[in-house]
Amino acid sequence: MAEGLLTTSVGSLPKPDYLVSARGRQARGEISQAELDEVSRRATQEWIRFQEEIGMDVLVDGEMYRGDMVAYFAEHLDGMSISGLVRSYGNRYYKKPIADGDIRRPHQITVDWWEFAQSLTERPVKGMLTGPYTICDWSFDNHFGSRREFVMALAEVVRDEARDLERAGARYIQIDEPAVSTRLDELDLAIEAMGVVTEGLRAHTITHMCYGRFDLVYPKLLELPVDQVDLELANSGLELLEKFREHPFTKAIGFGVVDVHSHRIESVEEVKANIRRALDYLKPEQVFVDPDCGLKTRTVDEAKQKLHVIQRARDEVRAELASGRLARIPS
Amino acid sequence: MEPVIATAVSHYPKVGDAPGQQRLRQSIARLDRGEIDTRQLDGVADEVTAEVLQEQEAAGLDLVTDGQIRWQDPLTYICSRLEGFQITGLLRWFESNTYYRQPVATGPIGWREPILVRDLRFARENCSRPVKPVLTGPYTIATLSQTSHHGDRRELALAVAQALNRELKALAAEHPTWIQVDEPAIAENPSVQYPRDFETFSEAMHVLLDGVDSNVSLYVYHGAAADVPRLLELPFALVGLDLVQGAAGWRLVDTWPRGKGLGLGIVDARNVKMESVEQLADQVKRAAASVEGAELHVSPSCGLEFLPRDAARAKLELVARAAHAEEVGVDG
Repeated sequence: MAEGLLTTSVGSLPKPDYLVSARGRQARGEISQAELDEVSRRATQEWIRFQEEIGMDVLVDGEMYRGDMVAYFAEHLDGMSISGLVRSYGNRYYKKPIADGDIRRPHQITVDWWEFAQSLTERPVKGMLTGPYTICDWSFDNHFGSRREFVMALAEVVRDEARDLERAGARYIQIDEPAVSTRLDELDLAIEAMGVVTEGLRAHTITHMCYGRFDLVYPKLLELPVDQVDLELANSGLELLEKFREHPFTKAIGFGVVDVHSHRIESVEEVKANIRRALDYLKPEQVFVDPDCGLKTRTVDEAKQKLHVIQRARDEVRAELASGRLARIPS
Repeated sequence: MEPVIATAVSHYPKVGDAPGQQRLRQSIARLDRGEIDTRQLDGVADEVTAEVLQEQEAAGLDLVTDGQIRWQDPLTYICSRLEGFQITGLLRWFESNTYYRQPVATGPIGWREPILVRDLRFARENCSRPVKPVLTGPYTIATLSQTSHHGDRRELALAVAQALNRELKALAAEHPTWIQVDEPAIAENPSVQYPRDFETFSEAMHVLLDGVDSNVSLYVYHGAAADVPRLLELPFALVGLDLVQGAAGWRLVDTWPRGKGLGLGIVDARNVKMESVEQLADQVKRAAASVEGAELHVSPSCGLEFLPRDAARAKLELVARAAHAEEVGVDG
């Protein structure tokens, strides 16, 4: 840990073609859920093996068994249902959930899958949840009539799931809140809801956010009650870093170094330059190096190449640090 | 009293959940895989546009849009056809969970050729109701873009206004009953807090409308426009307000100036919860009492692409029933 610059992924990874087609067959009723789960396990296994082989430090299961990060939770909660397709950008659509009753978690949602992924490796696998604020913000409301009530109801069920993950042995628990920087007037609500989720957890807690106006939410976002904040920094041109001079970043940071929406594979030199820039402002122990966001919209091949580049860049920067060629900022 | 017009604001869902309603999505994926060419994709976009026009007519609208089926997002479709812009990374559109690609002005902004004229002609050929072309306004484009060429945002806004003034003239030459300009970025929106420069806004609107011989409407949504100074003195024939996200707009409605058209955005275009027709009809009545010597247009609060297709359609039916409640009685 003293070396720092641990490598990880944000969460989702692309589904291999055989899994995409199996999901289609299951949706059409041609194969059973159990048969699909078997295929999802195979894909999970492949991604765990890949991450291990290239030397990544903190692994993810890649969310092979999930469709959408919000709908997946909505599908497993009482009081929520799924509406029709809504466009997000470009040619990307998702089935937007609807709150239509009081929210309850009838059973554990992600624990079995986390246990399976963790059983495949000695390295830590992150428990991956979607945060209450984002589930609310990305859903329609046909029931609560108050965003606050909706968010706080969700916070309780996400908290229960986080506690179950910790009980199962998860050392890293990530509660994704990509929507948190969306509404400046609701930051306090998002922070309060995260407090409900993380209260009493001993695991290393992380939240991921992206495509927000960080210039306006920093340093306020440091009030989020988590150990680590994961930020999309390659896509936004590392502009946020200047802010760290004035208000030092006080948590661990997941530092996004490759753009997940571009087919182009960054060069090792480019990514190294991004990491070096991070080290102008942050201590290596603080920094987890990762892509800007989930890689699920890339092809399997592109995702692998991008992760590979991150890993190589990290290894080379680490070597430079060890040899003293790259100076550290004073602690 | 003049008849109340039921209308849409801007976009409409490009795909639906019913069989056959995902052709456009599938075709774009096929284009990406190199299985079809852009001509074939344009053909599918035309089919879906025609379908969406029919859907608006069937819902009971009196004035329709083409649904912006071909638009990637509210900025790219316009800016990629202007001289001087490059289209870059994804940014969130206001506080929604939809995204646009940010244009960056890297040179002088210029108008090359008509952007929406072909789309307007196509829509009119495929619809028996009047079609209004809808343009994202220069102030919003400048607010949501960046520039490496202009001194500041004001300079960029005025340059875009000048370019789009030529577009408005090209559209006016087609003689549509209305041309609409959307300026959501001037709305007061506490969630996004974009900088609001009223002086630049007013200047840009004057440049935009200079010498344009047509009924042009201004729509402000995703927030309230009640505090925009002299909003109703701008040379627009009609001003449309989002009264769902900007309920403060009712203050303006109740003292609406004579001769100015009003766009009454009262049906929530961003949530599937359906309003009651009776309540909507009461709101229409309240507004109708203020509008004199000009048209009253009833609409969703903004474009409907935030909703699934079936909900969007149901919202338009609500708009039409509320707008026409006086003529036929609420139950009709």
